[in-house]
Amino acid sequence: MKYAFYPGCVSKGGCPELYPSSVKVADKLNIEIEEMKDVACTGAGVLPQYLSDPINARTLAKAEKMGLPMMTICSTCQGVLAMANYRLTSDPDYRAKINREYLADEGLEYKGTTEVKHLLWVLFEDYGIDNLKPLIRKPLKGLRVSPFYGCFLRRPPEAITPTKESNARKSYLDQIIGIMGAELADISGKGKCCGFPILSANEENSLAMVAKHTGESKDNGANCMVTPCPLCHLNLDGNQQKAGAQAGKEIDLPILHLPQFVGMALGFSPDEMNVKRHIVSTSPVEKIVDMLT
Amino acid sequence: MQVTFKVYRKDPEKDGKPGRSNYTVDVPDGATVLESLFKIRDEMDSSLAFRCSCLRGHCGDCMVRVNGSSRLTCTAKVSAYTQKGPEISLDPLRNVPVIKDLVFDWDAFMWNKISTVKPWLEADDATANGESIAADAQMKDLRKVMSCYHCGMCDEGCTVLPVDFKFLGPAALTKAYRFVFDPRNQHAKEQLKTVEGPKGIWDCVHCYEADEHCPRGIEPTKRIVALRDEAFRVGINNEKVARHHKSFAASVKESGWLDEGRLAIESEGLTNVSGLMKLLPTAAKALVRGKAPLPYMHAKRPGAEQIKKIIEKGEAENK
Amino acid sequence: MQEFDVVVVGGGASGLRAAIAAKRDGASVALLSKSHPLRSNSAIAQGGINAPLGKDDSAENFANDIMAAGDGLCERAVVQSFVEDAAKEVFWLEHMGVPFNRDKDGRIDRRPFGSNSRNRSCYADDRTGHMVLTVLHEQFQRLGIPSFEEWFVTSLAVDGEACVGVTALGLKSGKLDAFAARAVILATGGFTRMYAPSTVSIGTTGDGQALAFQSGGHLMDMEMVQFHPTVFPKGQGLLITEAILASGAQIVNQQGAPVQIDKSSPRGKLSLAISGAAQNGDGSLFLDLKPIGKEKILSSFPQTNELVKSVAGLDSTKDLIPIRPVAHRPMGGIETTASGETAIAGLFAVGECAANGLNGAGRLAGNTLTESVVFGKKVGEAAAAYAKSSAKKNFPAAKLADEEKKLDALTSGNSAEDSLAKVHAELGRLMNEKVGLVRDAGGLQEALSGIKSLQQRHQKIKVRNGGRIYNYELTTHFEVASMLTLADVVARSAQARSESRGAHNRKDCPTTDNVNWKSHTITKLAQGSAQIDKKPVAN
Repeated sequence: MKYAFYPGCVSKGGCPELYPSSVKVADKLNIEIEEMKDVACTGAGVLPQYLSDPINARTLAKAEKMGLPMMTICSTCQGVLAMANYRLTSDPDYRAKINREYLADEGLEYKGTTEVKHLLWVLFEDYGIDNLKPLIRKPLKGLRVSPFYGCFLRRPPEAITPTKESNARKSYLDQIIGIMGAELADISGKGKCCGFPILSANEENSLAMVAKHTGESKDNGANCMVTPCPLCHLNLDGNQQKAGAQAGKEIDLPILHLPQFVGMALGFSPDEMNVKRHIVSTSPVEKIVDMLT
Repeated sequence: MQVTFKVYRKDPEKDGKPGRSNYTVDVPDGATVLESLFKIRDEMDSSLAFRCSCLRGHCGDCMVRVNGSSRLTCTAKVSAYTQKGPEISLDPLRNVPVIKDLVFDWDAFMWNKISTVKPWLEADDATANGESIAADAQMKDLRKVMSCYHCGMCDEGCTVLPVDFKFLGPAALTKAYRFVFDPRNQHAKEQLKTVEGPKGIWDCVHCYEADEHCPRGIEPTKRIVALRDEAFRVGINNEKVARHHKSFAASVKESGWLDEGRLAIESEGLTNVSGLMKLLPTAAKALVRGKAPLPYMHAKRPGAEQIKKIIEKGEAENK
Repeated sequence: MQEFDVVVVGGGASGLRAAIAAKRDGASVALLSKSHPLRSNSAIAQGGINAPLGKDDSAENFANDIMAAGDGLCERAVVQSFVEDAAKEVFWLEHMGVPFNRDKDGRIDRRPFGSNSRNRSCYADDRTGHMVLTVLHEQFQRLGIPSFEEWFVTSLAVDGEACVGVTALGLKSGKLDAFAARAVILATGGFTRMYAPSTVSIGTTGDGQALAFQSGGHLMDMEMVQFHPTVFPKGQGLLITEAILASGAQIVNQQGAPVQIDKSSPRGKLSLAISGAAQNGDGSLFLDLKPIGKEKILSSFPQTNELVKSVAGLDSTKDLIPIRPVAHRPMGGIETTASGETAIAGLFAVGECAANGLNGAGRLAGNTLTESVVFGKKVGEAAAAYAKSSAKKNFPAAKLADEEKKLDALTSGNSAEDSLAKVHAELGRLMNEKVGLVRDAGGLQEALSGIKSLQQRHQKIKVRNGGRIYNYELTTHFEVASMLTLADVVARSAQARSESRGAHNRKDCPTTDNVNWKSHTITKLAQGSAQIDKKPVAN
């Protein structure tokens, strides 16, 4: 299994713990990744489509040239790329226009065959859970984990792709918690928005969302949360204390990236997964994991 | 078949406290939830209040939550909800003040918000020269957006409304789209500015819940995104958002990827001392943990030149 | 008490258009509607809105088609003024935002419909009514006209010979209030909820007609009730726009074989033909939309496809859809002049609740929406002019208190074993069987005695629920009363007209009698009972 690896911006910027932990986990699982180093940010839903579609078409064309499917480690990258891909593959005239006006200069042409998958989907659909299970060295007993998907890993429907996998994809994160040996502390907000996109425009609402979801998590007995999206992580972890202060309560809920979570079950130490970089202390999680044999 | 409906009750003329009434009714196999409600009201409890109008899925009036999910009662077949057992719960929509039983306040929920966007066309009145000429493709998109029958499902599923009821919401913002993108409309620019104000398009988290909820495939979230993109194109009428977007675009144009440190600072504004001061605690913590992306350490990517060319071309073509 | 120059009762297409016109002519206007305007019955009109826009068409052709469909009962002068203004009003709607389907030249496209001899039905998918209503509501909001939504009008206030306003119950507040006006426009829609089944929204109960009738207004041609030929008959029933017939759909039997029926007949003839040819036990033939082609169905009739799926559980691109003629809309209503004046000074009526002579014994398919806007404008302007020129009259001081007492009396005391629902259901059955598509003297007599006994039962029924906020039992009590009053008039008028003409078919008088019956039936209250006169057609 080989992928054109698209790490996105935040995994090397505001969440620098994500990139190395992803690479380590891929390596451990023998998932070959060839990093795409000369491609742009997806635009993250901030850049308008008339700018982000061309730069994403370029990224997709380059992966197509590499002859590899793409793998992402961020729900937002995944969603934006998948939505752009949907537009480019479902409308041949549109794709032809983008090719002609934006990609041809560089000698590129997107033919519409690239598939983009988040690591979470790769594990279930390409790797196979039955192949993953034997590699679990430390079932994460004692962790009670709430899932937090990130909107773009669940919506809109055409980005999740109208395939037989699309409904199952809405449960992968729930499932993987149990598969890694941890307990699921389900929350109704697991598919909702963390507030990150409006952090700049409306901080109050943004932080209210953080408090709401982490609060629900704690109320349901969780001792940590896992998310496949570093933008969610930035808000849920980075702004958790601020959110708590606004809501008038202490939250103190460690937020884990998906690869860190899986990595620890595979045997990496919390330290090796760079959890010490987080804003909200992960020591409760570290204590539990370090005690497991 | 025998079904027990557990219906939310609230009587403003008694104690106004929420409660629930259970009604067990015998309904024909093909019955709808609305027909069951009629049966309950006609035979068991004449005080039960619920709305309906067209009876056939045309008008959006009868929206309630059936077993927690919003549905039109007039097209909701009872048999679809009794797979797991003969009990069905009926509640008003979420995110909305309730007046009596299943009758909620549509004004506060939606009508008032739609009024805020000044929902009408300002166009040339004179009919002497017949109709304005328009390609059907343009009218087709408008027909899609205008097929909205104000059922409220998009607002009901919205992620923002539970934390901020004053947010205009997908229904009102989709209405704004309908006007901003109608070529006959003479006050499109003003309407766009109106929805760029507080509680408008910049408060949307574009989570696509609205698109998942809309029963008519109108894709409200995509319409809001289109308004945002249009605002970007003509110049964003919201200072902080404008700074944020400008910085993001500049980052990607210059280096190929996002410089978050720069973004945080430029969003506040380089001369916005109080805004910048607010960033300090988070920035300090991030620095200590080795998390802070330092602007002057942000390296240009290979391919940055090509990326820049593409963006510049895109900007030029969309002036 | 609230005071306005013009009060419009009814928030559908006609009411909104009238309110807009009156306001633009300088009157102070208020609209009262018992549901939100966007939930009005106008929203479910589908097929189209007629206007003589084509190069091959003319106002004269249009007029001829209307006269033909009206089967001798149309008033030519009214038809003339209607056809002259239709195009203008449709252009105005387009300018104000209705997203009509366009032809390849970018002009408003028109499709064939019913017995129109030219393609003149302008359309917006198969959601024309919804689109027109939406745009009218937008323009209504633009003018800032006070809108009293979910206010139920309980009575007309009449001072001497003139109407001076209404009393209404606000459902949200539970409060009764008086609305004084120099002119009142009734735009309350049709009355076919007195039939079961029917094609219409739950509020189409003839409230305006009953109010006018009981205050001295005249009702005209009430026996003329149009049945829609292609309605899926199960549950609440679903009207399938017969524009699909003109686009290629076939009427077939259970085996899928086409039945010999002229699809371009006027609705009355088509309904009779379908009803007559039915083989199925419960009176249904089937629609086969397959000849239209899947792509065209999805692009031209998306709502039909959507609702056939959700209401009937069928796929309109594959399955046969059972259909039957079902009671649809009246040609008859409050007798008015071309500008909406009734027999009561200061009381106007427009739209489905009115009969001004346009429709005669049969409405041309696609004319209803055009009527709403053409006459909505005329009547709004007429009411505004009347308000300007008339002296202010007094709203009767005791009226509101009297209404309060009436409401209290309705909600006190306990009810018999009977129920409003039972009375309504029996009325619906009775009307469908005895005053339906085909009538005869014996059946009509049975209908009249049946209606009388239902009225007696209704009088004894009390509203058990004593509250006023969203008390639908209370509003239903009023609505059933309206339907009973009007059902009596419909049956009586049907009994009086001893011929067959247009929508009125008498098995025992099967021919059209132009010697004795080229006349309208006019019903009024005289000494507490309905009295029917004939009014010869003017042209």
